[in-house]
Amino acid sequence: MRGCRYLLLCVLVGVLALGWCQGELNKDLVNKKIERKVDITSQVVKIATKITLENSGAAPVKSFLVALTPEEKEKLSSIIVQSGGSVLKIRETKVDEQPDVAFYKVDLREPLNPSKTVNVDVEYILTHILEPYPASIQQGEKQLVKYSGNHYVLSPYPTTTQTTTVAVPSPNIESYSRLKPTAHTDTSITYGPYESVAAFSEDAMSIHYENNSPFLTVTRLERMIEVSHWGNIAVEETIDVLHNGASLKGPFSRYDYQREHNSYSSIKSFKTIIPASAKDVYYRDEIGNISTSHMRIQDDAVELDLRPRFPLFGGWKTHYKIGYNVPSYEYLYSSGDEYLLKLRIIDHVFDDMTIDELLLTIILPEGVRNIKLETPYPVERLADTLHYTYLDTVGRPVVSLTKKNMVEAHIQDLSLHYRFPSLLMLQEPLLVVLAFFLLFLMVILYVRLDLTLSKDEATESKMRVSSHCEQVHTHHEKRARLYEKLEEEIHKLKSSKDVAQSQTTTKKIQASIKDETQFINDLVGKIRADSTDYADKVAELQKVDKALRECVVQQLTNVEKLVSGKMSKQQYMDTDNPLHRKKEEALERIKSLLSAI
Amino acid sequence: MCVCVCVCVFDDRAWYPLGRIIGGTIYPGLMVTSAAIYHILNWLHISIDVRNVCVFLAPLFSSFTTIVTYHLAKELKSPGAGLVAAVMIAIVPGYISRSVAGSYDNEGIAIFCMLLTYYMWIKAVKTGTLFWSTMAALAYFYMVSSWGGYVFLINIIPLHVLTLMITGRFSHRVYVAYSSLYVIGTILSMQISFVGFQPVSTSEHMGAFGVFGLCQIHAFVDYVRSHLNKNQFDTLFRAVISTIAAAGVLTLAVLAALGKIAPWTGRFYSLLDPSYAKNNIPIIASVSEHQPTAWSSFYFDLQMLTFMFPVGLYFCFSNLTDENIFIILYGVLSIYFAGVMVRLMLVLAPVMCILSGIAVSSLLSTYMKQIDDVKVEKKKQRFEGNYFMRSEIATLFVCVMSVFLVMYTLHCTWVTSEAYSSPSIVLSARGHDGSRIIFDDFREAYYWLRHNTPEDAKVMSWWDYGYQITAMANRTILVDNNTWNNTHISRVGQAMASSEDKAYQIMRELDVDYVLVIFGGLTGYSSDDINKFLWMVRIGGSTDKGTHIKEHDYYTPAGEFRVDKEGSPTLLNCLMYKMCYYRFGQVYTEGGKPPGYDRVRNVEIGNKDFELDVLEEAYTTEHWIVRIYKVKDLPNRGA
Repeated sequence: MRGCRYLLLCVLVGVLALGWCQGELNKDLVNKKIERKVDITSQVVKIATKITLENSGAAPVKSFLVALTPEEKEKLSSIIVQSGGSVLKIRETKVDEQPDVAFYKVDLREPLNPSKTVNVDVEYILTHILEPYPASIQQGEKQLVKYSGNHYVLSPYPTTTQTTTVAVPSPNIESYSRLKPTAHTDTSITYGPYESVAAFSEDAMSIHYENNSPFLTVTRLERMIEVSHWGNIAVEETIDVLHNGASLKGPFSRYDYQREHNSYSSIKSFKTIIPASAKDVYYRDEIGNISTSHMRIQDDAVELDLRPRFPLFGGWKTHYKIGYNVPSYEYLYSSGDEYLLKLRIIDHVFDDMTIDELLLTIILPEGVRNIKLETPYPVERLADTLHYTYLDTVGRPVVSLTKKNMVEAHIQDLSLHYRFPSLLMLQEPLLVVLAFFLLFLMVILYVRLDLTLSKDEATESKMRVSSHCEQVHTHHEKRARLYEKLEEEIHKLKSSKDVAQSQTTTKKIQASIKDETQFINDLVGKIRADSTDYADKVAELQKVDKALRECVVQQLTNVEKLVSGKMSKQQYMDTDNPLHRKKEEALERIKSLLSAI
Repeated sequence: MCVCVCVCVFDDRAWYPLGRIIGGTIYPGLMVTSAAIYHILNWLHISIDVRNVCVFLAPLFSSFTTIVTYHLAKELKSPGAGLVAAVMIAIVPGYISRSVAGSYDNEGIAIFCMLLTYYMWIKAVKTGTLFWSTMAALAYFYMVSSWGGYVFLINIIPLHVLTLMITGRFSHRVYVAYSSLYVIGTILSMQISFVGFQPVSTSEHMGAFGVFGLCQIHAFVDYVRSHLNKNQFDTLFRAVISTIAAAGVLTLAVLAALGKIAPWTGRFYSLLDPSYAKNNIPIIASVSEHQPTAWSSFYFDLQMLTFMFPVGLYFCFSNLTDENIFIILYGVLSIYFAGVMVRLMLVLAPVMCILSGIAVSSLLSTYMKQIDDVKVEKKKQRFEGNYFMRSEIATLFVCVMSVFLVMYTLHCTWVTSEAYSSPSIVLSARGHDGSRIIFDDFREAYYWLRHNTPEDAKVMSWWDYGYQITAMANRTILVDNNTWNNTHISRVGQAMASSEDKAYQIMRELDVDYVLVIFGGLTGYSSDDINKFLWMVRIGGSTDKGTHIKEHDYYTPAGEFRVDKEGSPTLLNCLMYKMCYYRFGQVYTEGGKPPGYDRVRNVEIGNKDFELDVLEEAYTTEHWIVRIYKVKDLPNRGA
């Protein structure tokens, strides 16, 4: 389906282009006035041309042409044509008469009527056009570069008057070509004004000057954006940086670098600006965190002061990763199940940056369909792939695109439309729940399954005995507590002297003691089936317990007698002491028996 | 299958120009384990990086070790002892030093394997079943595949069996356990190509073989005894035993003389005689881990375990069983070995924990009972006059023990955070104002090498930095930490110790592009190459090609090793000195001191103004810790 659409588009473009090519150069247009500003202070060359176009013909003109030399075309990174504050539509084209020159056809906003004028601004940026000369320098030397251009503005139309101003970074200029009139100040060289220049005039301009601004190129930028509908967008950029100024000749002396500060063209650090909402920023490479960086949070951006592990001299390169998270609500818009992701194709790496090659991959959530990509400038879209990570089943769709030769002007938003049923958000939690459920289920089944081939009587009876013994313990504990209660009652009776009241409670307690004893007796029978050894011990326990009970009951009756006056105090003491001792012995015996059971 | 893969891998990035057959020079266990974990996790779509697997492998295995320790101590004594032992090993610094995240070393998994084998062995001895013996053999195989220390294991298990025989505890259980373990374990261990035929040819393994033979004889004798009466048996026994002993000794002697049984290898010899290595093999002695252990480091690494260890031994002796004899043997032997070599502290730590676990648990359970009793029978105190102030003393004891345990925890935490938690590759120091200064120079240099030298560049450095350069700089190196070839290391030592001209010849011969040295003179980092230099001289002079390098040339007439004006001229003009101090003579390092003041040696260097003829400074890191030099090409003819 998409293929068909592309084919159609191509055919359309082809037809249009063909149609136009036959429609040659418009001889009616004249450049009344051209003011060109060439900025060669940094590593990129920015050329801004202000053109006043006049229609000297009879018919209104809808479009005009911008021409570039083949060298410029090769190094061209971006071109923008504006008129009265609005950007004009621009398209690359060819002219038969001038096969070497690259042309761009610009559509005017409204047709230019005869003898009317219009102001247009053409801005374009060239990269890698400044040539270090000499190509390699020693550590303490300054970096000299050569700019080669054209004294005249290359135009398919004749020009009435034109001026070119070249901005240079410092007054240190080795040499510059002179096509009179020229003027030279500290920071600029002015060529012109030149009057009545014919169409396609060329005259080589060359400026050899000192330029110590950072000549830093991103040779490859891999930008990975991972979108999560749980509220986060993770961005990670893998960056290869090369210092492509004059390369270092001879040794690098740390002593000179530290003491004399004469390494003019070397780069110690640079600034990267990332979105203001970025958090969890990291800066690392293959061998771990790079400890030399600073982060400054400002109102509208986060500024990172990145220092590579080593200073970069000409020809040296480094490689690093930078990553951060941004909240998705700033970039992801939705209406029902339809989503729109709007974020930057590239972000700022350093000032006046050049990026030789970009690979942007956007990882969308699992289950995304109907992906539509819109970019503000043409890019090459690669085939969609799948990415598997935590808890993925069918894989996440990955949209990837690539583009060569980019500069700051390319920091623009792309829009990605897609459809994502919100119910799919539950898929991963449910998956986890299911996995754990299955795990627990398996464990439950496993512990309940008996996989032994033959029954192991010995262990089983042992286990039965131990469970019975446990029951004996619990029952005995209950019984022991009852004894304690009984003793409390005896004490109470001593003070309250209310025999009737006490008898009712003690009766009750004694009955419960009997119940517990009965329970244990039942257990003895059960234990005996498996182990006579333990059964004997429990029986012994019962015997001792019986003795104990008799003692306690005896004590109780004694106290009752004492309270009701049937026994003297002396008599009571005499009978009670041996009873007490007996009781102690019984308790001791019970304890040792219990520990053995 | 994995083993086969390893065998075929040839590493041409190290030991240039020799290269190294990976499978034949390493124990594959660690790599196989991490690769298996990595693949399983990724198969489950847990997309974890292999690097993270490696980083967390040691902590993961140390947690397994904790579990195994519990089971081992439980088998030996009781679940309570197991718990205490597990808690102790979880934090003991002697083991943490090798199991922190990021320590991707054989020892990381080897200790787990060792304890697992011991556990299986004890199970096998206790049950006498083929199942547990086979499990023990498998665990032993895993141990062999992961660490050279398996030799300790294959000697201690036969020793245990021998002790059981001598003490008359030999039984069918032991027979089954050891015979099957030895046979299966030996065959399996021979599958590791680094081990190869060693189990049947070297003297380290002969003990195990001898005990295996003795086992058969013992079993046979037992069988014969059951069929003969006492007199007949005694005569027979005496005759047979003397013949066999004589024949055995003779065979061993002949085999050793013919070279069929390899002589004791150096590393193992140095275990038995601490001075052996120092006198004979400088490369073994040069490693600080192979030095005898100082007393303080026992306390530093084990704290209260040092005192609880004999207590544990006492409890084991008081209740002598087959398995307790094993742990006693293990404890006593390993404490001897740990005293010989610092590195073997690692083998000692688990047994210290187990024995201390037994001790602490036995002591506490004895005294806790007394406290318990008192609480339940508060009223009946007057009938229990057999101990004076029983509960008070018990309470006091438990309190003291708790204090000990708390102190142990605090000590372990402190040692771990102080000594074992900081990465050795990133150094840090305190500035004058108390702020932290980070010296990230190693990574700076390695990363520079990685990105700004030709991909096939050969880097020469002392072997300590070999693995780091391979991994971080991704460049070919001459020698690395797998010190399998002594002469090659010696060649590098000769280059470092020679004068520039001689060194240049060696470097051309070895095709060196860059030379890397570690220099601490500016920052005061003391383990730099100048302090290791004497070892380079010794190792360099230990082979035939290095006879011109004599250690005494590098000393002053008074026999001192100095880098100032008094130092020997040979030292002040050798390559290592020049590379370390190139242009250092102009640097002011400390206030009030002359330029070129070395902050490690605390002297002003002796040779300041010199130029390098055959090298040029390629890179020096921010704090001068790593200095890299490029070897110049031969000068053009006539130039």
